[in-house]
Amino acid sequence: MANYKGSREAAACAMRERAAKDKRILFISPDSLKAMRATDFAAEYPDRCVEVGIAEQQAVAAACGLASTGLIPVVGTYGGFLSMRACEQVRTFIAYPRLNVKLIGINGGIYGGEREGVTHQAFEDLGILRSIPGITLLTPADENQVYQAAKAMFDIDGPVYLRCASGKERIAYEDPDTPFLFGKNRVVKDYGTDAVIFCSGFLMPRAMEAAERLKAEGVLVTLADVSTLKPLDREGTAEQLKRCGAAVTVEDHNIIGGLRSAVAELAACETPAYVIPVGLKDIFPSSGAAEEAADFYGMSVKDIMEAAREAKRRKKG
Amino acid sequence: MTPERALELKKTADELRLDVIRMVHQAGDGHPGPALSMLDILTVLYFEKMKLDPANPDWDDRDRFILSKGHSCPGLYAALAKLGYFDKKELAGLRKLGSILQGHPVKDKTPGVDMTSGSLGNGLSIGTGMAIGGRYLQKDFYTYVIAGDGEIQEGIVWEGAMTAAKHKLDHLILFIDHNGLQSGGACADLSGVLPIPEKFASFGWHVLNIDGHDPAAISEAIDAAKKETGRPSVIVAKTVKGKGVSYMENNNDWHKGVPNAKQVAVAEQELGGA
Repeated sequence: MANYKGSREAAACAMRERAAKDKRILFISPDSLKAMRATDFAAEYPDRCVEVGIAEQQAVAAACGLASTGLIPVVGTYGGFLSMRACEQVRTFIAYPRLNVKLIGINGGIYGGEREGVTHQAFEDLGILRSIPGITLLTPADENQVYQAAKAMFDIDGPVYLRCASGKERIAYEDPDTPFLFGKNRVVKDYGTDAVIFCSGFLMPRAMEAAERLKAEGVLVTLADVSTLKPLDREGTAEQLKRCGAAVTVEDHNIIGGLRSAVAELAACETPAYVIPVGLKDIFPSSGAAEEAADFYGMSVKDIMEAAREAKRRKKG
Repeated sequence: MTPERALELKKTADELRLDVIRMVHQAGDGHPGPALSMLDILTVLYFEKMKLDPANPDWDDRDRFILSKGHSCPGLYAALAKLGYFDKKELAGLRKLGSILQGHPVKDKTPGVDMTSGSLGNGLSIGTGMAIGGRYLQKDFYTYVIAGDGEIQEGIVWEGAMTAAKHKLDHLILFIDHNGLQSGGACADLSGVLPIPEKFASFGWHVLNIDGHDPAAISEAIDAAKKETGRPSVIVAKTVKGKGVSYMENNNDWHKGVPNAKQVAVAEQELGGA
């Protein structure tokens, strides 16, 4: 039975379970075993753990070579190092040849990166990777969703980036067995059509609370979990945009490049609607405790609620 | 290697050189100088040493090759065409829209190209992955990489060098096409990259130094590299940029340049293909 706490342990646990059944799965570590909670994996499968030292570009390039021999390498480390330090290797040598490499980026967002500060936080990762053709981007909402997504990603033939946090994230779905929906938005709350709140990632508990509190004050929203940022569920997203006429995007990421951009791009082409962003407002944040930092940088429950009210107001014009 | 065989391989290399000149002329674009410098090494690999099956380019047990200095690809394309990986007529498509011969090598687009390359410095690191994969899968194939002496200024090369040594990758053989020149001029004027052999030796590699235009020496160095166990081998091959065409030799204007019809005729004469 799966036993983990936090998204990093959840991902490591899923990888170990899949690896037990599939000898093609190897872990490539740029000295990230501890950070990835993968020391157990390394102890159990010493011949399937490739340590390359503190060298993310090397880790991703080696994964390219390994995948070209038919193996399924997993590279896991801080999301910023994967998406920025090793960006070219991901783009040119993993995505372009469509190699079957799985990337796990931890410390996604300021909420996920919390006290470490900007160097170890990733709030551009999704924007950078979303602009590369052919990569699947998974943005699960809590540790149980990560566990399921990390298992499911091995069924996708091609490059996948799975975004994890630091372990400070909260549980979004009461039922731990709530399935992870690949490529399809989940309607989490269906209270009304004053606005649709699209949320991807670990701010989901905050978005859920906001939806409840909005209901109590008479603002009736639909809340959708965008658990696959790419390929975006275009049909589901367009349908909710059309139905509600105004949207809020909630993401622990810069408001440029990630969920807000994906939804706004779709809205602009298919069904015009106001899109009010909640996320990091294109600034570098300070270190801080997870909950406190997320509140401070405009991702509080109140911020989400105000964005929904604003969406509703704009729609009425 | 017998002198006759060495001569034969020299002739093959010159034939491929002429293909390169004609391809770049036809394409109106490309890097002839860097392609000519590595062609004796490439010829020995593809026509003498590597375990290959052109009819089955994805054969699991084949030796792997990465042209890390991907801009030299007209030479690789010419070799693959001669071996029958694809029709020689494709060579006329170099760098043209929709061609299987892209401006730099692309895995899966060109039969026989094992890995995408062109952004410099990545080949060795990718090669470490192939070699580790081969060992894990209990295959006996070798992974060969040709890198330029300019591109090893990229930091990732030394990440790869450390990984290869740490993992004792004795089925990984790296050639340095050491022609001393790079896009902007002499390597020594642009970087502290020299001396190369000492650097690899200090990284724990088995180092061989050869004349990169001598087929017998290239072949013997590969044999010596294969005999070495427990560490990777680098063969530092002294070469001449633009080798084989008088007006291109050691003339860095031909790093990237297009020979005109008259210059092609001169090359034809010098390479014995008129």
